[in-house]
Amino acid sequence: MADLGRAALVVTLGLALYALVAGGYAAHTNRRRLADSARNALVCAFGSTLVAALVLLAALARHDFSFQYVAAHTNRTLSTGYALSALWAGQEGSLLLWLLILTGYGALAVFVNRTLLRDLVAWVVPVLGGVASFFAFVLVAVASPFKTQVPPVDGAGLTASLQNPYMVAHPPMLYLGYVGLAVPFAFAAGALLSGRTDERWIVATRRWTLAAWTFLGFGQILGAHWAYVEVGWGGYYAWDPVENAALMPWLAATAFLHSVMIQERKGMLKVWNVVLVALAFELSVFGTFLTRSDVVNSIHSFAKSPIGGWFLAFVVISSLFSLALILLRLPLLKARTKLESALSREATFLYNNLLLVALCLTVLWGVLFPVLTQLVKGETRTIGRPYYDFFLRAFGLPLLLLMGIGPLIAWRRTSVRALLRTLAWPIGVSVVCGAALVLAGAGSSRPGLIAYTFSAFVLATIVVEVVRGTRAVGSVFTLVARNRRRYGGYVVHAAVVLLAIGIAGSSAYGRSTEQRLLPGQTMRFDGYRLTYRGVTRVNTPQALETRAHLDVSGRWNGSIATGTNDYKFPPEPNKKVAIETDWLRGEDLYVIADIRNSGAVYFTVLVKPLVNLIWLAGIVFVLGSLVAMWPDAREQRRLVTRLAPARASA
Amino acid sequence: MPTRSPARLVVALAVAAVLAVFLIYQAVANSSTPTVTPSQIGHQSGKLAVVGTVVGPVTGDAHSAAGMRFALADPNDAKPVRVLVDYHGDDPPPLFQPGRSVVVTGTFARGRLSGTGIITKCPSKYTTSAPKA
Repeated sequence: MADLGRAALVVTLGLALYALVAGGYAAHTNRRRLADSARNALVCAFGSTLVAALVLLAALARHDFSFQYVAAHTNRTLSTGYALSALWAGQEGSLLLWLLILTGYGALAVFVNRTLLRDLVAWVVPVLGGVASFFAFVLVAVASPFKTQVPPVDGAGLTASLQNPYMVAHPPMLYLGYVGLAVPFAFAAGALLSGRTDERWIVATRRWTLAAWTFLGFGQILGAHWAYVEVGWGGYYAWDPVENAALMPWLAATAFLHSVMIQERKGMLKVWNVVLVALAFELSVFGTFLTRSDVVNSIHSFAKSPIGGWFLAFVVISSLFSLALILLRLPLLKARTKLESALSREATFLYNNLLLVALCLTVLWGVLFPVLTQLVKGETRTIGRPYYDFFLRAFGLPLLLLMGIGPLIAWRRTSVRALLRTLAWPIGVSVVCGAALVLAGAGSSRPGLIAYTFSAFVLATIVVEVVRGTRAVGSVFTLVARNRRRYGGYVVHAAVVLLAIGIAGSSAYGRSTEQRLLPGQTMRFDGYRLTYRGVTRVNTPQALETRAHLDVSGRWNGSIATGTNDYKFPPEPNKKVAIETDWLRGEDLYVIADIRNSGAVYFTVLVKPLVNLIWLAGIVFVLGSLVAMWPDAREQRRLVTRLAPARASA
Repeated sequence: MPTRSPARLVVALAVAAVLAVFLIYQAVANSSTPTVTPSQIGHQSGKLAVVGTVVGPVTGDAHSAAGMRFALADPNDAKPVRVLVDYHGDDPPPLFQPGRSVVVTGTFARGRLSGTGIITKCPSKYTTSAPKA
């Protein structure tokens, strides 16, 4: 079986190289049949990669420990579901998943666009072939998941903290996002290589970008929720380099999704858009490099593996390729129109883009700072949470405000008076909300108060837009159906508002205390009364489960249990926190226990206001993205009409 | 064909440069902490983040006045240097135990690190552990 997997990967490498070399030659010399052949090779590469992935999945399901990978990441007690999820629990398996998604996305993207964008696809194939060749080479020559050994009696098992449903979904979501960004990158590169830098590549890849962006965003929310419920420190985001690795391409892709609207409508920001799409792709590969190179200290202690250098080389080469291509095609990327006023929708989108990119680069600076100080000063210095929090507020709050202004401001130009008239209702609502919040005591945190007030402003602008539109067409469903992209975007904006409120509430207004209790003793905190009843220990086949039991009364009545699980395979302790949710307030009572042999327990009690809005934001975010992505026959007809002149000239 | 104003480019570059300088200043002046391994501490003092492997025995209690005590060695025991740590604060993460890679932040003075925060590195997805024979 391992031989079949190895052979399948070698076939993938051959097909990807063929797509790169033959596809590039065919596109350059305009040989149609050879280009079709290269495209078919890319589609077949998905088939051979699928065979390799199925071989590994079968070995995982059968606990075939003759595969080194299976023995290192599973054991016999692991359920089939978690055993299969070990496909992305280790380095080699996750790279195989990368390649599977890449070839799958690539095959679908070139197949769907093969007729409408034939000239562009001819150049897209070699670009995707090049990326796939790199990953296939790494899997064949450097990090093969099909290394075999004399099978041991049992495997090492899956890390306890990864045995969680969120961890089953979180990594593949991120991979779907990271890899998905290769498609718009390939189309942008294809447009530059072919010299056809009109808006077709943007139109063709809009849904791909949206899908990748949605996966990446939702994957991060899932990861944050996993950290919150499983890791047991009371937080959900630690600005760790590996977490930042997913945030950076998402920020760049967010900027891109906004700026493409300006190019589609006004023919502006062409250079900016190709830079953004290249940045998003390079950051997604850089993130993969970061997680596997050990160049920075992270709570995710990724090993110093031989693939780090290969990834760095790939990032450098592909970045230089992108830069050279953009510089070479600069004369073709001139704007059709120019910015007429600093008070216009175009300008607002530009400000939004600058803030998003500034935030992205700020995070990148923080991630690279230890490496840079080591290189420059010979001393590693790391940047802490205050740095990131400062810039999140500095760039995030103006972004929130722009999210309200952008959709309501006129294209081309407007006056301050006209803008104020348009925004009268939202401004009124936010002022009233701000005043009410101050009266309610929310003034204790200025950033929190600003975030809440700006959130009220954005929500009010969305409501104003929907009400106006509904009045015009008669029904909200008709309104959304007529412009799914626009109203899907508003739903996503609402999700961002929920996220902002959740982050502001749980961080700026969160409360915590720590107390040592003996059985029978009681502590009071923030309207809760917690009485410690005692400790139980249950020995299960998987773990020794130690729990401290508490009776809670006051704002919530009931019992909770918190403690640790000492897993047996592999032997690892894992904290088990108690979380009680007040759905009406969106608030959590979060209790962590440090159980001592003396019978005393140190309880850390956190009250996290509105934290559940963050998870709700994830669901709303996906819904909004689905609305924006949903196929639209009218849009398709417009697209065909629009592309007709370009096809005729091709 | 619209003409491009070089003044706009100069302003944009100037804004970017100011932002970059501000970022550097912020990072260096306020938020950065030297991160060293035990063998790199040398004559340093003050706020530090020490990356190392926990060496037992781990004694005491993080919540008590005396604190929890343990030592840190270089990762992979590259050099035979130990740093003694007195840790006060929140419970260390559950994975904290001898042999585990950690980052301890605190103040280093008179040969001891007075720790106030511990990050225990996750047993990674991307490190392979030896299967049972």
